[in-house]
Amino acid sequence: MIDLAKVSKIFSGKRQVTALEEIDLAIARGEMVAIIGPSGSGKSTLLNLIGGLDTPSSGQIEIDGNRLSGLPDDDLTRMRRDKIGFIFQFFNLLPTLTCFENVAIPLHLRGWQKKKIDERAKELLGMVGLASRIEHLPEELSGGERQRCAIARALSVYPPVLLADEPTGNLDTHTGADILKLIRDLHQRLGSTVLIVTHDPHVAESCERVIALCDGRIVEDREGKNRLLPAAAQPEVR
Amino acid sequence: MILLRLISWPYIRKHALRWLLTIAGIVLGVAVFVGMHTANQSVLYAFRQTVDRIAGSTQLQISSGETGFDENVLDRVQEVREVRVAVPVIEAVVNTGLPGQGNLLILGVDMTGDRGLRQYDLESGDEAVIDDPLVFLAQPDSLIITDTFAKENKLGIGGKVPMSTMEGEKLFTVRGIMQSSGLASAFGGNLAIMDIYAAQKVFGRGRRFDRIDLAVQEGARVEDVKTKLEALLGPGFQVESPSARGQQFESISRIYALTANITSAFALFIGMFIIYNTFQIAVTQRRSEIGILRALGATRRQVRTIFLGESVVAGLLGSSLGLLLGIAIARGMTGYIGALLGEVFGIAQKAEQISTNPALMIFAVVLGVITSVVAAFIPARNAARVDPVQALQKGRYQQLSAGENRVRRITALAVTILAAVCLVLSRYRLLAYAGDALAVLAVLLLTPTLAQWVARALRPLLRWLRPVEGTLATDSLLQAPRRTSGAVAALMLSLALVVALGGLTRASYDSIFKWLGVALNPDLFISPSQSLTARSFRFPGSMAEQLRAIPGVGEVQSVRDSRIQINGAPVIFVAADVQALVQRATLPPTAGDPKQMYRLTGEGKGVLASDNFALLHGYKLGDVLDIPSPRGVLHLPIVGIVVDYSDQQGSILMDRSVYRRYWNDDTVNIFRVYLARGAAEVEVKRRILERFGAERRLFVLTNRDVRQYIVRLTDQWFGITYVQIAVAVLVALLGIVNTLIVSITDRRRELGVLQAVGGLRNQIRGTIWLEALTIGAVGLILGLAFGALQLYYSLRITGEDLAGMRLDYEYPYQICLILVPVILAVAFVSAIGPAESAVRGSLVEALEYE
Amino acid sequence: MSKTLLVAGCWWLVVAAVCAQDARQIVAESQKRGLSRSQQYEGTLEVIGSGNKISLKRWTYERIGSYGSSKAILRFTAPAEVKGVALLIVNHADRASDQWMWTPALERDRRIALQDRSTRFFGTDFSFEDLEERDVNQFDYKLAGEETFDGQPCWKIESKPKEGKSSQYTSSVLMIRKDNYVVIQIENFAKEKLVRRIHYSDVQQQDGIWVGRTTEVLDANRGSRTVLKLEKLKYNLPMQEESFTLEALRRG
Repeated sequence: MIDLAKVSKIFSGKRQVTALEEIDLAIARGEMVAIIGPSGSGKSTLLNLIGGLDTPSSGQIEIDGNRLSGLPDDDLTRMRRDKIGFIFQFFNLLPTLTCFENVAIPLHLRGWQKKKIDERAKELLGMVGLASRIEHLPEELSGGERQRCAIARALSVYPPVLLADEPTGNLDTHTGADILKLIRDLHQRLGSTVLIVTHDPHVAESCERVIALCDGRIVEDREGKNRLLPAAAQPEVR
Repeated sequence: MILLRLISWPYIRKHALRWLLTIAGIVLGVAVFVGMHTANQSVLYAFRQTVDRIAGSTQLQISSGETGFDENVLDRVQEVREVRVAVPVIEAVVNTGLPGQGNLLILGVDMTGDRGLRQYDLESGDEAVIDDPLVFLAQPDSLIITDTFAKENKLGIGGKVPMSTMEGEKLFTVRGIMQSSGLASAFGGNLAIMDIYAAQKVFGRGRRFDRIDLAVQEGARVEDVKTKLEALLGPGFQVESPSARGQQFESISRIYALTANITSAFALFIGMFIIYNTFQIAVTQRRSEIGILRALGATRRQVRTIFLGESVVAGLLGSSLGLLLGIAIARGMTGYIGALLGEVFGIAQKAEQISTNPALMIFAVVLGVITSVVAAFIPARNAARVDPVQALQKGRYQQLSAGENRVRRITALAVTILAAVCLVLSRYRLLAYAGDALAVLAVLLLTPTLAQWVARALRPLLRWLRPVEGTLATDSLLQAPRRTSGAVAALMLSLALVVALGGLTRASYDSIFKWLGVALNPDLFISPSQSLTARSFRFPGSMAEQLRAIPGVGEVQSVRDSRIQINGAPVIFVAADVQALVQRATLPPTAGDPKQMYRLTGEGKGVLASDNFALLHGYKLGDVLDIPSPRGVLHLPIVGIVVDYSDQQGSILMDRSVYRRYWNDDTVNIFRVYLARGAAEVEVKRRILERFGAERRLFVLTNRDVRQYIVRLTDQWFGITYVQIAVAVLVALLGIVNTLIVSITDRRRELGVLQAVGGLRNQIRGTIWLEALTIGAVGLILGLAFGALQLYYSLRITGEDLAGMRLDYEYPYQICLILVPVILAVAFVSAIGPAESAVRGSLVEALEYE
Repeated sequence: MSKTLLVAGCWWLVVAAVCAQDARQIVAESQKRGLSRSQQYEGTLEVIGSGNKISLKRWTYERIGSYGSSKAILRFTAPAEVKGVALLIVNHADRASDQWMWTPALERDRRIALQDRSTRFFGTDFSFEDLEERDVNQFDYKLAGEETFDGQPCWKIESKPKEGKSSQYTSSVLMIRKDNYVVIQIENFAKEKLVRRIHYSDVQQQDGIWVGRTTEVLDANRGSRTVLKLEKLKYNLPMQEESFTLEALRRG
């Protein structure tokens, strides 16, 4: 599903920074993978490259059989639109739009019919448990609800790949666990490939696979320890 | 559309004030455009309507410039078989003695035949007069007025209207009242009918008519009759349809229309910068929003479309408001412009209502929208280029302009070189214009860089003045050049305009005063009208002798001037006794030998052309002018070109003997009177008034009166240009306020931190104030410098192409002395509101911002 | 006003007639009988408008010369505001007349142009053209019948202006008394439509000439009437040619 071959990313500027160095990585369809590592290890950069938000300095990336390198920006955008859903640490909801409108935006961007958008957005909000919050503005929601809304938005076209950058980083532990459970549920129900960048070892361990980065290299690639446990059964971390 | 609603609308709503300020640029530009053109068109329309309504069923009008012609022309015209009816007309505008009534347009007609052309619709009157012109004709004080005029002045049949005539103040008797429709609504209803022979006497026209109105026989083609009459009468006569007179008016008011265009173009241009600025800021502020959209799958095109869509909405909204404001402006200005055109060009019209032209309105809206879209184009492109990764990282600014700056500087350099080349080759008119445009472009491209330099240069000064606030203020400018460059550019452009116009005005005044000193040196001017440009009334030539007989009068010079058309160009000719004239006043020559030119002109072997006439129409010394006269075309060479500002369209000077011979007209508009040695001005003036006061209408103007009159006319003219200045400054100020509001919003967090670490509110205020003052100062420095260049172009272009004046370059220091405190003060004032909002906000909120 | 009527009986008719020799002769005879070297009268004129408003004018009238090439001067004596206004009419055998008007207050004479002849003569129901004398040879005539009119046997004669002769009327119908050849009615038409009806009554003999002393003109379009009465009518008084020039008009 996701294949990286010798992918490097170098930020040039006053000081050259190598964020990723010759990464080789293959993630199969339907996997749920955690990416961990200290700050500056290149986790987010890796996610951005896979999401097509950024382009590698060298190497090849393939998503669902599509090679990203060399794609013009519009094609890259279209790929992103159809294959990838993003979940951010800070939710990145548009503060002026209601829950419903936030979820509807990507569908508008795809030029869907209004009726179809309505149906889908309601379906998604129901799926993440926000059916009663449709007309609320983000500031009227709790942190967990905001993230649910963001997840609904990310799922809008049921993309095969879901990328989450510290999805629980901005939430208290309990809510974080809820969100994680939601992601896992969706992963199971929809069969999406999920990549989660996280600091939180509990989040990481509940994934099927854990990849650790350090200084732009993969230093560990293993199975998650608690991956078999249902999320709800995990011990609460305090 | 839906994106516009979802994405743009909330943002606009949140920043409504800034949006309105931004739109104000477009509003003003469109308003000025619509206002000035509508006012102009209304005046034109009023004039046409007056012409139309007076014309009745007239199909052709015969005239000979404004000079009029002998009565016997009428017989010749009436003898033409194809002419069904031809009637003589005299038209004159008279100031009535009735309070608050201003001017009355008097139509002198021959009532025995005139009803063949015009419907008088008399609704009341002497029983006899309604049907019977006999009483009307028998009594030379007869007047038919309109219902409107009668009601306004509470006049009935038999009512008296005082008017000053060539035979002194006289009372006229209302003998008929016309219904207020058709003819009676011409000239806003301030119209009166008089017997044409009575009018000849009243206006001192001798046995001459101004015009013949005619209708052709059934079955005859108007074009054929026109050709036949032209052949019959010769080139000294114009045979035209009544509507052609409107075109004449149009060509005369051309300069005015051009001024209106320049003003509105400037307002729009400056408005464009404000919009550009706002959008640029909006893009910066909405960076993260753009990032999210991009991450969610928005293509670049979609992002760009959102911003362009916003600009279309802004343009539409601004244009619509501008339209309304423009119509309001037109309402206010129409009367003023009508009066001005009436006074400067002596053309009778009375514009009371504004006439709106749908095509003009649509054009204005399109113009506003295009301006807005063009202004938003670069910001929209930048928005499309926002890198989603960087945009989504908090607290990091993306430098959008690193490469662009370099490109811009290189472009600016290229443009500057081009502008310089144009400057060198600027004797070609087109290149001169192109040079000006390129110079503006170059300076605009360089504005951010220049503004940076100036701000950097100002930094030590401000730092010395206020160590903390000063540094913060300049750094704010230095760090975000994009934020301020738009406002600086707008301010700079408008100040440059002010300097250019100021310099132009000063130079014009200087030239006019110089000319006044040379050409208008008689002690007294005797005119049959209060103004020297009105030519409704005329004196008989024989009056000169009577004047000479008055004790204290040294010399009397008779002058007859009138407007004619030479090769389609309206021009004033001045007929005077050149030999006598040259003894007293020598107009400074710009081409030709002074001695010879006056001798030849005096002998009737040539004419003198004014410098502006030559410049405007491209005549050179020795060119032969074809001057139409009632006795045929007069071919006279230009034997000299002199500086003369008698008229904006140019003037030619010929000897009065030539005029008498070819126009068979001995009448005089103005006597130039020089006092005998030792005679007292006041005394002689009194004697002249005593001698003629009872029997003639006349005004004795002292030299000082005339100067004041001309200065007042010039003032009125430049009054229009002052509108430009006001608009420019206003728009620039909007820019500063806008920029400050944005600057504060952008730096909310920074200002919050400043307060949190112990900055006093006053220090915060001081920072903002200083920032505003710095923007003002940067704008001032750049504007005053750029103004020096703009002035050069203005003098060349306006001087040569519009007014035909050769003007000396002199930098208007006085204006700068006023501008510096005014702009700084205004910058300060515009900072008060934003500064307060900066210190009032909650500290916690500010720190949490974003 | 004046003229027409004055001429009333006589002149106006005129005649020619290629096809209707009879009609032309009748008209010629009528003119011949009305012939005089000169004529003088004081006229009183009443205009009765459509609203039955009445206005009154008076003038004196003098004419010299034979029919078709006569000259006449008409001077207003009342009402006061028009007193002194005068009209000089110079008739020509071959073309329309010349007319000048004199306004003493302005001390100006003015020519009344040919084009204006169809307009109303100073608020009366006459037109300027009605005041002209026209030579018989300017018209074609046709006898349209004989009938009794105003209790008198009359000839009914149709006249049309000859080609090239200008007139506001396209045709006229004359009633001429068989007993004394006095014209007692003229109806003027423009394109088959009645424009003016001029009716002469009070037919008396003065200095050997039969004349209708009361003339009534009806303007068919406006519905207004003008009644002219001739008083102190005299024929063949001695008069001077010099009294009928522009200079004489100006002398008043």
